[in-house]
Amino acid sequence: MEADEKVKVTEEKQELWSWGAGTEGQLGTGKLQDEHLPQLLPVLPSLSLLACGGAHVIALTHGKKVLTWGRCTSGQLGHGSLVNSLEPKSVEVLNNFNITHVSAGWNHSGFVSECGQLFTCGDGSFGQLGLGDCVSHSSPIKVSHFASRRVYQIACGMRHSLALLQGEHGDQVYGFGSGKRGQLGISKEKLKSVSLPQCVFGLQEVNVSSISANGDHSAALSSDGHLYTWGRGFSGTPDVCCPNRVISHFSFKQVALGWNHAMGLTDDGDILMLGGCHHVVLNNPEKEILVNEDLNETQVKKIPGLNGIKVVGVASGSEHSVLTTGKHFENGVIMAWGWGEHGQLGLGDTCDHTCPQVVSMAQNAAHEYITSKVYCGSGFSFVVRAWRPKQP
Amino acid sequence: MSYDDVEIEDMEWNEELKAFTYPCPCGDLFQITKEELKIGEEIARCPSCSLFITVIYNMEDFTDQKSKSKIDQPKQQPVAVA
Repeated sequence: MEADEKVKVTEEKQELWSWGAGTEGQLGTGKLQDEHLPQLLPVLPSLSLLACGGAHVIALTHGKKVLTWGRCTSGQLGHGSLVNSLEPKSVEVLNNFNITHVSAGWNHSGFVSECGQLFTCGDGSFGQLGLGDCVSHSSPIKVSHFASRRVYQIACGMRHSLALLQGEHGDQVYGFGSGKRGQLGISKEKLKSVSLPQCVFGLQEVNVSSISANGDHSAALSSDGHLYTWGRGFSGTPDVCCPNRVISHFSFKQVALGWNHAMGLTDDGDILMLGGCHHVVLNNPEKEILVNEDLNETQVKKIPGLNGIKVVGVASGSEHSVLTTGKHFENGVIMAWGWGEHGQLGLGDTCDHTCPQVVSMAQNAAHEYITSKVYCGSGFSFVVRAWRPKQP
Repeated sequence: MSYDDVEIEDMEWNEELKAFTYPCPCGDLFQITKEELKIGEEIARCPSCSLFITVIYNMEDFTDQKSKSKIDQPKQQPVAVA
């Protein structure tokens, strides 16, 4: 690390904001209610990553420790109990490990340690904990299947999980849990479920840099910017049982999956959407779902209304999305669009929006804002905004 | 507008709620009771939002005696092309 950068990091502070569905305590506000506007939360240790699930949140600190809050009906918070938590609480079982990656599914959670060990907890009914059975656990359990091989990333969907192992080529991506919609990618046919990790088919020649799961969808990004998706079909297209490369001349650097759409962020800072037929019509019974006429071709669409605004990060809940722009557009703003019934767009109401809308977040005149990172759970949103004191 | 069509076998029995449930995108659960299924109800609602799903099931599986009339067959789900 450069000396300059070191100084920057030590001076950097964070604000944590949340809004949307909150009746399970997932917003971390200490209340059990929806919030239609961004809420500034009490200061936490500096965070490197957030993961938001059906109604719970996993926060990973720069000190490689884990805090969780929200719904715990299946033990997904990893606190050793089934009690919801309104406030961030440490996952003590993991305190002896340095955790470097986390993911939150509908009702289950995954944690990866620096040494490449994978731990899971929460709902195991579909084998999504990878422990060889369909039992739920309220404390993180080590997934022993990978033996000495190192896990690098975990991605938890509604009822399935994906694990990315270290190594440049070969058997890198594994799936476990429900395979009803082809989301495991481990076989040419749909499998009801598997409870032990199995290698995803057709990515052996690809150098996978990141994996994603949400709803019954799965995705992988290759180091050369190709996006692969599998699982439930988008916009009425058939389900896909093996990773399918999205045909596009763009190079992707990030992907965000919803329950019926995928957002791909290109190297140029544009967002392209796959599917999304529900993304804006949920509250409006007058509108008909547009079903793609060519059932074998998933359409990639541009997001309306962005007009060349450059995006640096995107996140998706089940039916809404949140993006953050680069410093060059109004010094970095947060925008949200999609389904808004629980206030998950943070616009102060419960309306849906087809085009990204600017989310207004209070600014402190003494702060210089540096970067914002966006995260979405099923019906709620989080922003981690980094700042440093303004130079006089 | 129904959010989704879900087969009964993909729903989970929730003993506490005494209902079959399926995840709702808002974070809560779509719910339908055995009594509702018995009388042919096919809409499972979410108590927290306006969304609902259509449950695909065979009503005969939930009635005590086999019904005389032929019940509508469940709709076919799209079949995957490998």
